[in-house]
Amino acid sequence: MESINAVEVKNLIRKYGKTEAVNGLNLSVQPGKCYALFGRNGAGKSTTIKCLLNHLRPNSGEVRVFGMDPRKEEVEVKARIGYVPEVVAFYPWMTVRGTLDYAASFRKHWNRTLEADLIRRFEIDEKKKVSALSKGMRSQVGLLTAICPEPDLLLLDEPTSGLDPIVRREFIETVIGAYQESAPDRRTVLVSTHLINEFEGLIDEFTVIDHGRDVIHLEADAARARFKKIRVRFTGPPPEIKLPDIFSSKSENGEVELVTDNYSDEIQAQLQALSPESIVVENLTLEEIFVAVGKSKRTNS
Amino acid sequence: MHLELNFKSGKPAYLQIMDQVKYAAAMRALRPGDQLPSIRDLAERLRINRNTVAKAYAELEHEGVVEMVQGKGVFITGNSSPLLKSTRSTLLAEAIDAAIVQAHHFQIEGEELVEFVRERLAAFEKRRRD
Repeated sequence: MESINAVEVKNLIRKYGKTEAVNGLNLSVQPGKCYALFGRNGAGKSTTIKCLLNHLRPNSGEVRVFGMDPRKEEVEVKARIGYVPEVVAFYPWMTVRGTLDYAASFRKHWNRTLEADLIRRFEIDEKKKVSALSKGMRSQVGLLTAICPEPDLLLLDEPTSGLDPIVRREFIETVIGAYQESAPDRRTVLVSTHLINEFEGLIDEFTVIDHGRDVIHLEADAARARFKKIRVRFTGPPPEIKLPDIFSSKSENGEVELVTDNYSDEIQAQLQALSPESIVVENLTLEEIFVAVGKSKRTNS
Repeated sequence: MHLELNFKSGKPAYLQIMDQVKYAAAMRALRPGDQLPSIRDLAERLRINRNTVAKAYAELEHEGVVEMVQGKGVFITGNSSPLLKSTRSTLLAEAIDAAIVQAHHFQIEGEELVEFVRERLAAFEKRRRD
């Protein structure tokens, strides 16, 4: 059981008409990890997630959730997934209570204690119609319906977009606290987001997606340790700098800014040989790494 | 205790937690028997993966800095080994070495670095008085 990945995607292709939303994507998520998909709007994140849920059918490629094919074993797959889309849809005439009971009726397992805790925490009025809820509260109810079944895989598709900072904070704290409370090693999170800073501390591993393809897979701690931004300042016009493993480089007002994942004393010596005025080396956050990787030439290949 | 993480430091979060707990213990801001926040509380507060907190606490226990008592929580040990002078010196030497490397990257060396350390010491003194 342990060796089966929560998610395994191989060479996934999904087109809308002639447009390729996903174009040969690969992804492996181990159980117990918090995994992120980073990409710009339209990069193919949502399409990928919808293929995991069998909301969309792949044109080709292989999709497995806990070793199962969502097209053939949709019920079994969905029983193990909790899903929060960007826009949560409910029957508007139902109350919060009714909505939760309705969602629970499709589930073998529903943690009532957890439900009560979260209703109290979010200060949700159960008697209210869902149509009368604010966007923030709707997403909280959405999160409730996703985590009360205590699924093995929580799929979050841009879950905090458009929410105010306090609701966002609560949302993430709930994923950390309530969802992972029991059996944390079996609780897998796959989140697609462009609000990278918000999820920074939660993420174990991530894949950067661009134009429907996986550009790079990275482990968060290793990426933060390896990626460096080097700012080299020259008194005159800067010379052309040729170094291996440069993800992005720009030149402005006599200063060259490089991002590399392979900074070494050797590279520093090479730069020093160009007699710059100063060299400043900075570490990067995941968001800065995403921006640098997104601009790299590898993306366009 | 107050913990703060910096994701722009290049240092894994679990190591940042470990170091901050060790420093607090070495500086007696945390004393033997003091309780640390639960894994869930700290993870929520810092908005980090609970595995990260669990890893930090497990390593701290392995190093004898804390003790995890089933059903009760995480406590600073009475065992003063991590507070022994030699241990403290080793810890401090590691941190200073890291700062020297970082300063080198920033092209701050020798006397300039020492001056900066003096400034920081003064800042800490001020904070302690306030």
